[in-house]
Amino acid sequence: MEQENEFSGQESLALITKMINKARRDYLDTGLSALLWGSVITFCSLVTFANHYLDWPALEYVWWLTVAAIIPQIVIVIREGKDRKYRAYEDDLIGGIWISFGIAIFLLAYIVSVYHVAEPAPLFLVLYGIPTFATGYARRFRPMLIGGVACWVLAIVSHYTPYPYTMLSLTVAAQLAWFIPGLIIRKCYLKAKAQHVQRS
Amino acid sequence: MFKDLNPILHSQLRLAVISILISVKEAEFTYLREKTDATAGNLSVQINKLKEAGYIDVSKSFKDNYPQTICRIPPQGFRALED
Repeated sequence: MEQENEFSGQESLALITKMINKARRDYLDTGLSALLWGSVITFCSLVTFANHYLDWPALEYVWWLTVAAIIPQIVIVIREGKDRKYRAYEDDLIGGIWISFGIAIFLLAYIVSVYHVAEPAPLFLVLYGIPTFATGYARRFRPMLIGGVACWVLAIVSHYTPYPYTMLSLTVAAQLAWFIPGLIIRKCYLKAKAQHVQRS
Repeated sequence: MFKDLNPILHSQLRLAVISILISVKEAEFTYLREKTDATAGNLSVQINKLKEAGYIDVSKSFKDNYPQTICRIPPQGFRALED
Protein backbone atom coordinates (compact mmCIF):
# COMPACT_ATOMS: atom_id res chain seq x y z
CA MET A 1 0.00 0.00 0.00
CA GLU A 2 2.41 2.64 -1.20
CA GLN A 3 0.13 4.72 -3.44
CA GLU A 4 -0.09 8.45 -2.92
CA ASN A 5 -2.42 9.18 -5.85
CA GLU A 6 -5.89 10.56 -5.36
CA PHE A 7 -8.63 8.00 -5.60
CA SER A 8 -12.38 8.08 -6.02
CA GLY A 9 -14.98 8.25 -3.25
CA GLN A 10 -15.98 4.66 -3.92
CA GLU A 11 -12.38 3.49 -3.66
CA SER A 12 -12.02 5.38 -0.38
CA LEU A 13 -15.14 3.76 1.00
CA ALA A 14 -13.97 0.32 -0.12
CA LEU A 15 -10.61 0.85 1.57
CA ILE A 16 -12.22 2.08 4.82
CA THR A 17 -14.54 -0.96 4.88
CA LYS A 18 -11.67 -3.36 4.14
CA MET A 19 -9.51 -1.96 6.93
CA ILE A 20 -12.33 -1.91 9.49
CA ASN A 21 -13.12 -5.55 8.64
CA LYS A 22 -9.44 -6.50 8.87
CA ALA A 23 -9.25 -5.00 12.35
CA ARG A 24 -12.52 -6.66 13.43
CA ARG A 25 -11.49 -10.10 12.23
CA ASP A 26 -8.66 -10.22 14.74
CA TYR A 27 -9.16 -12.32 17.81
CA LEU A 28 -8.22 -10.46 20.92
CA ASP A 29 -7.74 -13.34 23.30
CA THR A 30 -6.21 -16.75 23.09
CA GLY A 31 -9.27 -18.61 24.41
CA LEU A 32 -7.21 -19.97 27.30
CA SER A 33 -9.27 -18.23 30.02
CA ALA A 34 -12.51 -19.70 28.71
CA LEU A 35 -10.90 -23.14 28.40
CA LEU A 36 -9.45 -22.91 31.92
CA TRP A 37 -12.76 -22.01 33.61
CA GLY A 38 -14.75 -24.36 31.40
CA SER A 39 -12.45 -27.21 32.47
CA VAL A 40 -12.31 -26.27 36.16
CA ILE A 41 -16.09 -25.91 36.60
CA THR A 42 -16.73 -29.08 34.58
CA PHE A 43 -14.23 -31.01 36.71
CA CYS A 44 -15.53 -29.67 40.04
CA SER A 45 -19.19 -30.27 39.22
CA LEU A 46 -18.55 -33.80 37.90
CA VAL A 47 -16.45 -34.68 40.95
CA THR A 48 -19.22 -33.33 43.24
CA PHE A 49 -21.79 -35.38 41.31
CA ALA A 50 -19.66 -38.54 41.57
CA ASN A 51 -18.96 -37.87 45.23
CA HIS A 52 -22.65 -38.08 46.00
CA TYR A 53 -22.27 -41.80 45.38
CA LEU A 54 -18.62 -42.21 46.43
CA ASP A 55 -18.92 -40.18 49.63
CA TRP A 56 -15.23 -39.40 50.01
CA PRO A 57 -14.81 -36.54 52.53
CA ALA A 58 -11.71 -35.17 50.78
CA LEU A 59 -13.64 -34.54 47.56
CA GLU A 60 -15.96 -32.10 49.36
CA TYR A 61 -13.17 -29.55 49.05
CA VAL A 62 -12.91 -29.85 45.27
CA TRP A 63 -14.45 -26.40 44.72
CA TRP A 64 -11.34 -24.84 46.29
CA LEU A 65 -9.82 -25.60 42.90
CA THR A 66 -11.66 -22.50 41.63
CA VAL A 67 -9.58 -20.41 44.05
CA ALA A 68 -6.36 -22.10 42.89
CA ALA A 69 -7.34 -21.46 39.25
CA ILE A 70 -7.02 -17.72 39.86
CA ILE A 71 -3.21 -18.10 39.66
CA PRO A 72 -3.08 -19.50 36.08
CA GLN A 73 -5.81 -16.95 35.19
CA ILE A 74 -3.55 -14.08 36.30
CA VAL A 75 -0.66 -15.57 34.28
CA ILE A 76 -2.92 -15.81 31.19
CA VAL A 77 -4.09 -12.20 31.57
CA ILE A 78 -0.51 -10.90 31.92
CA ARG A 79 0.72 -12.93 28.92
CA GLU A 80 -2.21 -11.88 26.74
CA GLY A 81 -1.61 -8.25 27.69
CA LYS A 82 2.05 -8.53 26.67
CA ASP A 83 1.26 -10.12 23.30
CA ARG A 84 -1.56 -7.73 22.49
CA LYS A 85 -0.77 -5.29 19.72
CA TYR A 86 -3.94 -3.23 20.01
CA ARG A 87 -6.76 -2.46 22.40
CA ALA A 88 -10.39 -2.51 21.36
CA TYR A 89 -12.97 -0.09 22.73
CA GLU A 90 -14.88 -2.84 24.51
CA ASP A 91 -11.78 -4.28 26.26
CA ASP A 92 -12.08 -2.22 29.45
CA LEU A 93 -15.81 -2.78 29.60
CA ILE A 94 -15.56 -6.55 29.23
CA GLY A 95 -12.64 -6.67 31.67
CA GLY A 96 -14.73 -4.76 34.23
CA ILE A 97 -17.67 -7.12 33.76
CA TRP A 98 -15.51 -10.23 34.35
CA ILE A 99 -13.76 -8.72 37.39
CA SER A 100 -17.14 -7.84 38.94
CA PHE A 101 -18.35 -11.36 38.09
CA GLY A 102 -15.32 -12.87 39.85
CA ILE A 103 -15.97 -10.80 42.97
CA ALA A 104 -19.72 -11.55 42.89
CA ILE A 105 -19.20 -15.30 42.51
CA PHE A 106 -16.91 -15.51 45.56
CA LEU A 107 -19.30 -13.33 47.59
CA LEU A 108 -22.17 -15.59 46.54
CA ALA A 109 -20.17 -18.69 47.54
CA TYR A 110 -19.56 -17.09 50.95
CA ILE A 111 -23.23 -16.10 51.42
CA VAL A 112 -24.40 -19.55 50.32
CA SER A 113 -22.14 -21.22 52.89
CA VAL A 114 -23.08 -18.80 55.70
CA TYR A 115 -26.84 -19.16 55.13
CA HIS A 116 -26.60 -22.89 54.30
CA VAL A 117 -28.56 -22.50 51.06
CA ALA A 118 -29.82 -25.99 50.24
CA GLU A 119 -29.47 -25.81 46.48
CA PRO A 120 -27.31 -22.91 45.26
CA ALA A 121 -26.77 -24.14 41.66
CA PRO A 122 -29.54 -21.97 40.10
CA LEU A 123 -28.05 -18.85 41.73
CA PHE A 124 -24.60 -19.62 40.35
CA LEU A 125 -26.03 -20.39 36.92
CA VAL A 126 -27.87 -17.05 36.80
CA LEU A 127 -24.59 -15.34 37.62
CA TYR A 128 -22.60 -17.40 35.06
CA GLY A 129 -24.95 -16.23 32.34
CA ILE A 130 -24.40 -12.49 32.87
CA PRO A 131 -20.72 -11.99 31.84
CA THR A 132 -20.96 -14.76 29.24
CA PHE A 133 -23.94 -13.16 27.51
CA ALA A 134 -22.43 -9.65 27.86
CA THR A 135 -19.13 -10.78 26.28
CA GLY A 136 -20.92 -12.55 23.45
CA TYR A 137 -23.08 -9.47 22.88
CA ALA A 138 -20.19 -6.98 22.92
CA ARG A 139 -17.91 -9.11 20.72
CA ARG A 140 -20.78 -10.31 18.49
CA PHE A 141 -19.66 -13.84 19.27
CA ARG A 142 -22.66 -16.14 18.93
CA PRO A 143 -21.30 -19.20 20.82
CA MET A 144 -21.00 -17.10 23.99
CA LEU A 145 -24.42 -15.54 23.46
CA ILE A 146 -25.86 -19.05 23.24
CA GLY A 147 -23.76 -20.10 26.26
CA GLY A 148 -25.12 -17.19 28.32
CA VAL A 149 -28.72 -18.02 27.44
CA ALA A 150 -28.00 -21.72 28.15
CA CYS A 151 -26.85 -20.80 31.68
CA TRP A 152 -30.17 -19.06 32.37
CA VAL A 153 -32.20 -21.92 30.91
CA LEU A 154 -30.18 -24.37 33.01
CA ALA A 155 -30.79 -22.17 36.08
CA ILE A 156 -34.53 -22.77 35.64
CA VAL A 157 -33.98 -26.47 34.89
CA SER A 158 -31.78 -26.97 37.95
CA HIS A 159 -34.41 -25.26 40.14
CA TYR A 160 -36.70 -28.19 39.38
CA THR A 161 -33.95 -30.81 39.48
CA PRO A 162 -32.95 -32.67 42.65
CA TYR A 163 -29.36 -32.79 43.91
CA PRO A 164 -26.89 -34.19 42.68
CA TYR A 165 -28.32 -33.77 39.16
CA THR A 166 -28.03 -29.98 39.54
CA MET A 167 -24.27 -30.58 39.28
CA LEU A 168 -24.82 -31.89 35.78
CA SER A 169 -26.54 -28.57 34.92
CA LEU A 170 -23.35 -26.83 36.05
CA THR A 171 -21.29 -29.20 33.88
CA VAL A 172 -23.42 -28.50 30.80
CA ALA A 173 -23.35 -24.75 31.52
CA ALA A 174 -19.54 -24.75 31.86
CA GLN A 175 -19.22 -26.59 28.57
CA LEU A 176 -21.68 -24.41 26.64
CA ALA A 177 -20.70 -21.06 28.15
CA TRP A 178 -16.93 -21.39 28.33
CA PHE A 179 -15.31 -24.62 27.19
CA ILE A 180 -16.85 -24.87 23.70
CA PRO A 181 -16.60 -21.09 22.98
CA GLY A 182 -13.04 -21.30 24.33
CA LEU A 183 -12.20 -24.06 21.86
CA ILE A 184 -13.64 -22.00 19.00
CA ILE A 185 -11.71 -18.87 20.05
CA ARG A 186 -8.53 -20.93 20.47
CA LYS A 187 -8.91 -22.46 17.01
CA CYS A 188 -9.45 -19.03 15.41
CA TYR A 189 -6.54 -17.56 17.37
CA LEU A 190 -4.13 -20.33 16.33
CA LYS A 191 -5.30 -20.06 12.72
CA ALA A 192 -4.74 -16.28 12.72
CA LYS A 193 -1.34 -16.76 14.36
CA ALA A 194 -0.30 -19.33 11.76
CA GLN A 195 -1.33 -16.98 8.95
CA HIS A 196 0.68 -14.20 10.57
CA VAL A 197 3.77 -16.42 10.82
CA GLN A 198 3.38 -17.42 7.15
CA ARG A 199 3.22 -13.77 6.07
CA SER A 200 6.24 -12.66 8.13
CA MET B 1 -24.37 14.30 0.08
CA PHE B 2 -21.02 13.40 1.68
CA LYS B 3 -18.32 16.04 1.93
CA ASP B 4 -14.98 15.42 0.21
CA LEU B 5 -12.26 13.92 2.35
CA ASN B 6 -9.57 16.19 3.72
CA PRO B 7 -6.59 16.15 1.28
CA ILE B 8 -4.43 14.64 4.04
CA LEU B 9 -6.58 11.51 3.71
CA HIS B 10 -6.14 11.27 -0.05
CA SER B 11 -3.26 8.89 0.52
CA GLN B 12 -4.39 5.27 0.62
CA LEU B 13 -2.03 4.43 3.43
CA ARG B 14 -3.06 7.39 5.60
CA LEU B 15 -6.73 6.60 5.05
CA ALA B 16 -6.05 2.93 5.86
CA VAL B 17 -4.32 3.89 9.12
CA ILE B 18 -7.19 6.16 10.13
CA SER B 19 -9.75 3.45 9.25
CA ILE B 20 -7.98 0.93 11.49
CA LEU B 21 -7.61 3.41 14.33
CA ILE B 22 -11.33 4.23 14.15
CA SER B 23 -12.08 0.53 14.78
CA VAL B 24 -9.79 0.14 17.78
CA LYS B 25 -8.96 2.22 20.83
CA GLU B 26 -5.21 2.17 20.17
CA ALA B 27 -2.80 0.14 18.08
CA GLU B 28 0.92 -0.55 17.98
CA PHE B 29 2.98 0.47 14.98
CA THR B 30 3.67 -3.21 14.20
CA TYR B 31 -0.06 -3.95 14.11
CA LEU B 32 -0.68 -1.09 11.66
CA ARG B 33 2.19 -2.31 9.49
CA GLU B 34 0.81 -5.84 9.52
CA LYS B 35 -2.69 -4.72 8.55
CA THR B 36 -1.68 -2.24 5.86
CA ASP B 37 1.19 -4.31 4.37
CA ALA B 38 3.21 -1.09 4.22
CA THR B 39 6.94 -0.75 4.70
CA ALA B 40 8.09 0.53 8.09
CA GLY B 41 9.66 3.63 6.52
CA ASN B 42 6.61 4.64 4.52
CA LEU B 43 4.24 3.97 7.38
CA SER B 44 6.39 5.99 9.73
CA VAL B 45 6.32 8.97 7.33
CA GLN B 46 2.54 8.78 6.88
CA ILE B 47 1.94 8.44 10.62
CA ASN B 48 4.01 11.56 11.18
CA LYS B 49 1.92 13.44 8.63
CA LEU B 50 -1.29 12.36 10.35
CA LYS B 51 0.18 13.36 13.68
CA GLU B 52 1.18 16.80 12.39
CA ALA B 53 -2.34 17.27 11.00
CA GLY B 54 -3.76 16.48 14.46
CA TYR B 55 -5.59 13.33 13.38
CA ILE B 56 -3.67 10.96 15.60
CA ASP B 57 -1.64 10.86 18.80
CA VAL B 58 1.60 8.91 18.86
CA SER B 59 3.24 7.77 22.09
CA LYS B 60 6.59 6.05 22.27
CA SER B 61 7.76 3.79 25.07
CA PHE B 62 9.69 0.58 25.68
CA LYS B 63 8.23 -2.92 25.99
CA ASP B 64 10.59 -5.77 26.94
CA ASN B 65 13.57 -3.55 26.00
CA TYR B 66 12.17 -2.91 22.51
CA PRO B 67 10.81 0.46 21.37
CA GLN B 68 7.04 0.53 21.16
CA THR B 69 5.01 3.09 19.22
CA ILE B 70 1.31 3.33 20.01
CA CYS B 71 -1.11 5.29 17.83
CA ARG B 72 -4.61 6.43 18.68
CA ILE B 73 -7.14 8.97 17.48
CA PRO B 74 -7.58 11.67 20.15
CA PRO B 75 -10.98 13.37 20.68
CA GLN B 76 -9.87 16.34 18.56
CA GLY B 77 -8.88 13.87 15.83
CA PHE B 78 -12.42 12.51 15.77
CA ARG B 79 -13.76 16.06 15.61
CA ALA B 80 -11.42 16.81 12.68
CA LEU B 81 -12.65 13.67 10.91
CA GLU B 82 -16.26 14.73 11.42
CA ASP B 83 -15.62 18.20 9.90
